[in-house]
Amino acid sequence: MLALWLKIRALPTWALPLLLGIVLLLLPSLGMNYGMTRQVILTLLLALIVSGLNLNLGYAGELAMGHIAMYAAGAYTAGLIGKAGITEIWVQLLVGALAALVVGLVSGVPGLRLGGWSLAMTSFFLILLIPDVLSIFKESTGGRNGLTGIATPTLFGEPVTENQYYVLVVVIAILWFAFMRNVVVSRHGTAFQVLKQSPVLASSLGISVFRMKLSAYALGAIPAGLAGVLFANLDMFISPEAFTFTVAMTVLAASIFGGSASVYGALVGAGVLQFGLNQATNFQEYGLIITGGFLLFGGVLFSGGIAGVGQKIVRKLDYKAAEQAGRSKGSSAENAVADVEVLQGANLSVQTVSKAFGGNKALSQVSLEAKPGAVTAIIGPNGSGKTTLLNMISGYYETDEGVIALDDLQIQGQPSYKVARSGVSRTFQTPNIPKNLSVIEAVESGRYSTQRASILQAVFRTPKFRRIRREDRSEAQRVLNLVGLGSQLNADADSLPLGNRRLLEVARSLIGSPKVILLDEVASGLDEDELDVLADLILRLREAGLTVVIVEHNFQLVLRLADVIYVLAQGSVMAHGAPAEIEKNPRVMEEYLGIVSDSDGTSLVGA
Amino acid sequence: MTEENILLEVEHLQTGYGDLKVVRDVSLTVRSGQITVLLGRNGAGKTTTLRAITGLNRTYGGEVRYLGKKLGETVAHRRVAQGMSYVQEGKRVFHELTIEQNLLLGGFSTKSKKRALLEAVQEIYEFFPILGDKRSLPASSMSGGQQQMLAIGQALMAKPKLLILDEPSQGLAPAIMKEVMERVHSLKATGLGILLVEQAVQESLEISDEVSVLDMGRTSLAGPASSMTLEQLQEAYFGTSESVPAKQMAE
Amino acid sequence: MTIIWSGMAIGAVYALVAIGYNIVFISQKTFNFAQASLMMLGAFITYVGIVVMQLPWWLVGIMAAIIVGLIAALEERIAIRPVKDMHNLLVTTLGASIILQGVAQLIWGGEPYRVPFFAGDQVISLFGGNVYPVELVLVAVVILLVIGLNQFSKHSLIGIALMGMSEDREAAQLRGVDVRRFAFLAFAFTGVLAGFLGLFVGPKTYAVATLGASLALKGFVVLAIGGFGSLTGTLAGGLIVGLTEALASRYIGADFANLSVFLILVVILMAKPSGLFNRQKERTV
Repeated sequence: MLALWLKIRALPTWALPLLLGIVLLLLPSLGMNYGMTRQVILTLLLALIVSGLNLNLGYAGELAMGHIAMYAAGAYTAGLIGKAGITEIWVQLLVGALAALVVGLVSGVPGLRLGGWSLAMTSFFLILLIPDVLSIFKESTGGRNGLTGIATPTLFGEPVTENQYYVLVVVIAILWFAFMRNVVVSRHGTAFQVLKQSPVLASSLGISVFRMKLSAYALGAIPAGLAGVLFANLDMFISPEAFTFTVAMTVLAASIFGGSASVYGALVGAGVLQFGLNQATNFQEYGLIITGGFLLFGGVLFSGGIAGVGQKIVRKLDYKAAEQAGRSKGSSAENAVADVEVLQGANLSVQTVSKAFGGNKALSQVSLEAKPGAVTAIIGPNGSGKTTLLNMISGYYETDEGVIALDDLQIQGQPSYKVARSGVSRTFQTPNIPKNLSVIEAVESGRYSTQRASILQAVFRTPKFRRIRREDRSEAQRVLNLVGLGSQLNADADSLPLGNRRLLEVARSLIGSPKVILLDEVASGLDEDELDVLADLILRLREAGLTVVIVEHNFQLVLRLADVIYVLAQGSVMAHGAPAEIEKNPRVMEEYLGIVSDSDGTSLVGA
Repeated sequence: MTEENILLEVEHLQTGYGDLKVVRDVSLTVRSGQITVLLGRNGAGKTTTLRAITGLNRTYGGEVRYLGKKLGETVAHRRVAQGMSYVQEGKRVFHELTIEQNLLLGGFSTKSKKRALLEAVQEIYEFFPILGDKRSLPASSMSGGQQQMLAIGQALMAKPKLLILDEPSQGLAPAIMKEVMERVHSLKATGLGILLVEQAVQESLEISDEVSVLDMGRTSLAGPASSMTLEQLQEAYFGTSESVPAKQMAE
Repeated sequence: MTIIWSGMAIGAVYALVAIGYNIVFISQKTFNFAQASLMMLGAFITYVGIVVMQLPWWLVGIMAAIIVGLIAALEERIAIRPVKDMHNLLVTTLGASIILQGVAQLIWGGEPYRVPFFAGDQVISLFGGNVYPVELVLVAVVILLVIGLNQFSKHSLIGIALMGMSEDREAAQLRGVDVRRFAFLAFAFTGVLAGFLGLFVGPKTYAVATLGASLALKGFVVLAIGGFGSLTGTLAGGLIVGLTEALASRYIGADFANLSVFLILVVILMAKPSGLFNRQKERTV
């Protein structure tokens, strides 16, 4: 049983879907009747739209239903140019996809700036407008009565027969799903996962949240547009009836049911809704209730859809197989401690920075200097502004006044993803690690913005893409060895124990060859051994020439590691200097202990 | 100190957030008419301990006994109804509500009618006159010290047996801090038991009966306030043997 | 003027939806997409009660309030409480809305039913325009409702507790507020409201299964204009949306009514995402 499983897993992941595609291609010659062919075509068209939605909902993490509008744009573009005599299907597909892309960009640019409910509502509204817009241009679109008289499509000048049309639809679906798969199974797919679960993390890795979401939305327009073109040429008739709110709900239900965060889930969801429900008796009457039920219970019960269930089973079987093969943790624990290469640190200087939230001054006139090859520690009581300062450096808050500079480059006022790209990387107080990523993928995501390979390069698996992928692997392996996680590459990153999640964050912040690394309470919750690994690593990073800034509660650790300590109190720097000076500074002790230091060590009260 | 005076007993408490265990072994006792102060550095686990006592965080191990009964999984709002009133750190009043609304809401747990609560509000105004003067202004319009008084007044509206205060002096000017401390001290006389978390060691020791010091999630020192020495305290604060600052300070 | 009256009345309907959104938003920081579908159900029950069963209007109102209130309570238990993630909430309340629409279609079909207004359908001439009694009443109802709810939230203990809970859930818990129960009751209350308001909404919009989607979206535009969480804002939002729709439809063309409202929505969301009548909350540390 497990042996068979291992054999199946040895096949490339695209083998089974490709097989399905070939079977679909062969079906007509096996004697499939017309009604059936039509059902398959409609299923594939639905799957294309669902797939476009999935890029958005499942990967970029926004619910935007504009895909029905893009679908309509594709359909009407094809219908209109078909009527005008351009019947060549390849041309129609190209133009239709472009039209959908334009609709996507035009509606996406304002919509995606909002996100959340506002985006969802705006895009629902867009669907409501389809019949109105068609009606406004009723001279050419036929308005609410629909567009009739679309000419038969041609392929290289020859009219396309019914059977040929079927093959065409299947081929396009195969091509799109191959495209989608190559996007998702790549560093871009990982980046989408990061973005969906934590925009804050994404921007700290140098990913522009807006641009990434927009590209998901725009890419999603392509299959919707293609589906529209294919739909228009299926019946040679289109009307607003095909682009209603109800259709949008069917698309969404198929996405949720099949699993939004998956490539092939779209096919399953579309299949179930198109086949299962349409064949059921009384579909007309119960259709809405069933669609609603899918949404309601799909949303409540299994958030990953059918694909999610499948992924869980696969993971379980993988784990069992691995256990049986004796590749469990213990045997491969040889933890080669890698050497740190020479790192080019930068001088981080913060000059008279102030920040107020409302009336509260969070920071006033804070100046700080962190040098390459040194560990700079920031300490201070709760609410003294440590984390605010860190967030200002990484660009999450804007400065009210003052300058933050990396060597000669001023970075205050820059968005966080740009600060990250300038070489400032960080960890978070609460480890920020996306779900459903392996340890090595989670770490590789830290290289997303330093080494670029475009989405198209991922789709075509170009040599550059392959080279970067190899480098991602080896670099991730190297930094994981540095933090002592080298033996757990394929473990589920999110389910690591807390200490290891912190170390993973450190690894991720190192992989992009940063100039400055900000560690926010990185030691809290670590046990003694983990603390030693961490302390040792920090010292080696310092040796290697990196600029290290730590915010830390653990005073012992700070004394052990820091070259310079800054003490913040109520938003300003109260003292700074070498650990030996800070220790002796009576005001620091006072701030920490709240004790006036001229006390003579006798009883404190009752005197 | 008889046993029936005991309001709250915490024994070997373990708690935290998710799999982040912040508090590993904390024990303390609060008696009626007394103040117990919980000290410790930043990040030592003081606030987390309070959150577990009041039911905001789950207890992973150990026990919290209140009025002689184990609290177990009792939810936060029920604990308030049993007379446990908690003033969170950072002057957490409702900024958008007026001062009077804040106080009325403070009495919500007593399930009294609004009329009865309005009378109780009058008593608070007598205790903190500044609140009465500004009663119909939004809480956000007040200064930090006034908001702290409002927060305490709000907690008193619940007619508590146990008052828990998390860093009431935080961010206050020394004179105002002194006033707040005096107010807290005067509450003892009403028979209230008070659990106080503070950074201001000296000021809080002066008004306390019992001291408990946390370090890295463990009780590192506990005993009557009158017998504490600075040396003991520093040792408890900065860990055991290699306590450099303690040595420095003792010189 | 006739157009103004009609625009104000439809604006009042949208504002009523937005008030429902707001109550849920204030108590649990989420949206109930099915709010408008609950109102659609209220309209149908009014139709059944008044036309089919020939019951007195006040009894119909109470009946609708109870039934729709129960449905809302059920929705909270099934579609809201078990769901943690915001995106899933969007999907599940949408699902609830579609189910309600499906049920209505199953029972009453797709055709609209005219719902009579209990105070008569005699056209009145007022300020140089013709207006139906129900249109005047709708405007009055929404204004009174906003005033009433505002007073309630300022002066009653429960109202104060709700506002406190909206600002800081944890702090409210520490004052003894059972936040989950409150959130549930507030949600059920929006159902009661939606059911009862069927008496007034039904005669204006007719009872039709597809009422939900368009009301839900217009209600959202009202909310976006008036500001999330602001009851008073819904009045201004309703006025703007209702008048825009009526005027665009009259002077530009019926096909431009939705388009104009959409444009307003986009412009407002881009310029002031928190709403025109909401002061920007500054974040604090």
